[in-house]
Amino acid sequence: MIKRLSITLFVLTTWYGFGQDKVTEAFAGTRVINNHSNETLPKNTLEFIIGHKFGDIAGATGGVDNFFGFDNIADVRFAFEYGIIDNLDIGIGRSKGVGARTQMLDGYAKYSILQQKTSGMPISLTFVSSFAFSYVKQSHDSTALASYPTFWNRMIFTNQLLVTRKFGNRFTWQVNFGYNHRNYVKYDQINGVYFVGTSGRLRFTKNIALLAEYNYTFNRLPTENHQDPLSFGIEITTGGHIFALHFSNAKSLNENLFIPETTSNWGKGQWRFGFTFNRRFKL
Amino acid sequence: MSNLRTYLFASISLVGVVLLFAFQSAKPGRIEPYKQERLELDPDVSKWSVEDVLIQLGDQKPQHYIEKLDADSVRMGEELVYYGRLKDHSNKRVSKYFVCTDCHNQVLETDDPSDESPARVLDFSKKNKIPFLPGSTFYGMYNKRHWYNGDYAKKYGDLVKNTRDTLYNAIQLCATQCSQGREMDFWEIRCVMHYYKNIQLKVSDLKFSSEEYAQFSNLVTAGSDKAIGMIKGKYNEINDAHFGNSEIPKIPGYEPNVENGEYIYKAGCMHCHAPGRNITNFDLDMDLLSFKFLYAKKDKYNQFSISHITRYGTYAVSGRKQYMPQYTYENMSNEQMLDLMKFIETKAAE
Ligand code: HEC
Repeated sequence: MIKRLSITLFVLTTWYGFGQDKVTEAFAGTRVINNHSNETLPKNTLEFIIGHKFGDIAGATGGVDNFFGFDNIADVRFAFEYGIIDNLDIGIGRSKGVGARTQMLDGYAKYSILQQKTSGMPISLTFVSSFAFSYVKQSHDSTALASYPTFWNRMIFTNQLLVTRKFGNRFTWQVNFGYNHRNYVKYDQINGVYFVGTSGRLRFTKNIALLAEYNYTFNRLPTENHQDPLSFGIEITTGGHIFALHFSNAKSLNENLFIPETTSNWGKGQWRFGFTFNRRFKL
Repeated sequence: MSNLRTYLFASISLVGVVLLFAFQSAKPGRIEPYKQERLELDPDVSKWSVEDVLIQLGDQKPQHYIEKLDADSVRMGEELVYYGRLKDHSNKRVSKYFVCTDCHNQVLETDDPSDESPARVLDFSKKNKIPFLPGSTFYGMYNKRHWYNGDYAKKYGDLVKNTRDTLYNAIQLCATQCSQGREMDFWEIRCVMHYYKNIQLKVSDLKFSSEEYAQFSNLVTAGSDKAIGMIKGKYNEINDAHFGNSEIPKIPGYEPNVENGEYIYKAGCMHCHAPGRNITNFDLDMDLLSFKFLYAKKDKYNQFSISHITRYGTYAVSGRKQYMPQYTYENMSNEQMLDLMKFIETKAAE
């Protein structure tokens, strides 16, 4: 009897309690555009993500000759993500990679430490740890990046904390900061890069929103041609799928690459169209 | 050495003696004649179940008649209904999309089981905080005589034929079609049946006037089968079903009730669509954007339009898709549809 009562109470509290307590839908999916959002997948849910980024729209390699970048693919990524429990996700992905870093496998774990509540908890706090690994064949040219003397040289790690707050029902703002470490770099690069970023989502309607995302890197070497990744996007949710169409100077789709390795310059027309598309499955 | 032999001999003979006695104690069997026991019932008829009355008075037993309730099966049936599997995880989930309680209540939904009209059900549900769902309540499902009635034949075609008079098959159809799951094993359905029997209608659930009740209990005590007709007038033997269409209903002079609309939204729509319930990919909450969205789409005749989705549901691919079941006229009236739409309109304008 007590058990049945508690089940009924549980059903009633979940049914009446939602919307009063946890602040939900800060972002539509587990990414803002390409960087992580505070959202995690519900337990036992699998998400499949496909992402594409095309070539430069303008500038030297863009324009009508390459049909505004559509002839060139900058990066392609497929990924599977899985919610182990409601607060913990893991994921793996495969991307083409960019520049000297190609044939990338990546993986991550994300833990939601705090969740914003309508009262008592003003922010969400999330920790994301990820790695990427290039399985490209070792180059015999010892000056090339891909000469990778040891297996561990192939690894890149990114750890970041996300602080997220949804203001009212339309606007979400997120600040992220962290540390990226490339175990093996070119002579004009530095292994460890500190970064801080910010992202926003502005919902026009229930299913259409504007997205923006930016990461500032602190200590890339002045000798290196470097840029900070800046992207803008439009998100359309259909109930089942999320489409995000975006423009970005960053060429790659994984944070282990676009945070430390972006070189394309908005000012020189080196920005591109890209999209991500995802679909959730219950397991 | 000789000591050891003595021990060995002594213990072996001890075992032998014990064995001898063990066999000795078995008594020859006796065959008892089978006798149909009369149900042992409380002298107070109001404590009886509806089925007790019917059987006592010689009504035909239903096909799914269970003579003796098994407490363990009831518990397992309840776990299957609430969680989709046993709590010890010894069986596979019936469905990865739903559990029965997403669509079916487990309590009486009306104060008078002979009147399960949507208006009565909504009234009673509001008072008792009961979800307002498209499936019929499991309370008293055991007492029905036909399942998947009316227009469900249109939706499921030949699939409903064998469910019409067999509760066992109705459960199986709902497991594979309505909950988009696997076929249930015989023992699982048997447990759900015991659970159903446990929440069958009781005489005390029925609404008699005091004179009626006095007459009724006299008839029952006298063993008169006139009581059968009387009790059958006090509840419904079927849940009928008639499907609506996408049109926004027009009821001249009807003034929609926003409070009812709010209850339907919260206890109906949000029962599955509330964020975090993780039953659907389309969340609905008490947020302005949700109301504006629904209001803007109300005339679209697509799956985002309230009058369309509520009456048609979404298309289900057997075992492979989340989908939404529809509300029949028996589960939600046209007046209630207007209440719901008025509530959304009011909220969208806030
Ligand atoms: C997604 C919603 C949904 C889920 C989940 C669901 N059902 Fe149903 N079920 C319905 C609908 C809708 C009907 C037809 C309307 C009705 O109940 O009268 C129905 C009908 C039935 C009927 C026949 C009722 C009648 O009077 O005709 C039975 C029995 C049944 N379900 C059992 C179950 C069992 C057992 C489970 C869990 C294993 C279950 N259902 C899960 C939606 C659902």
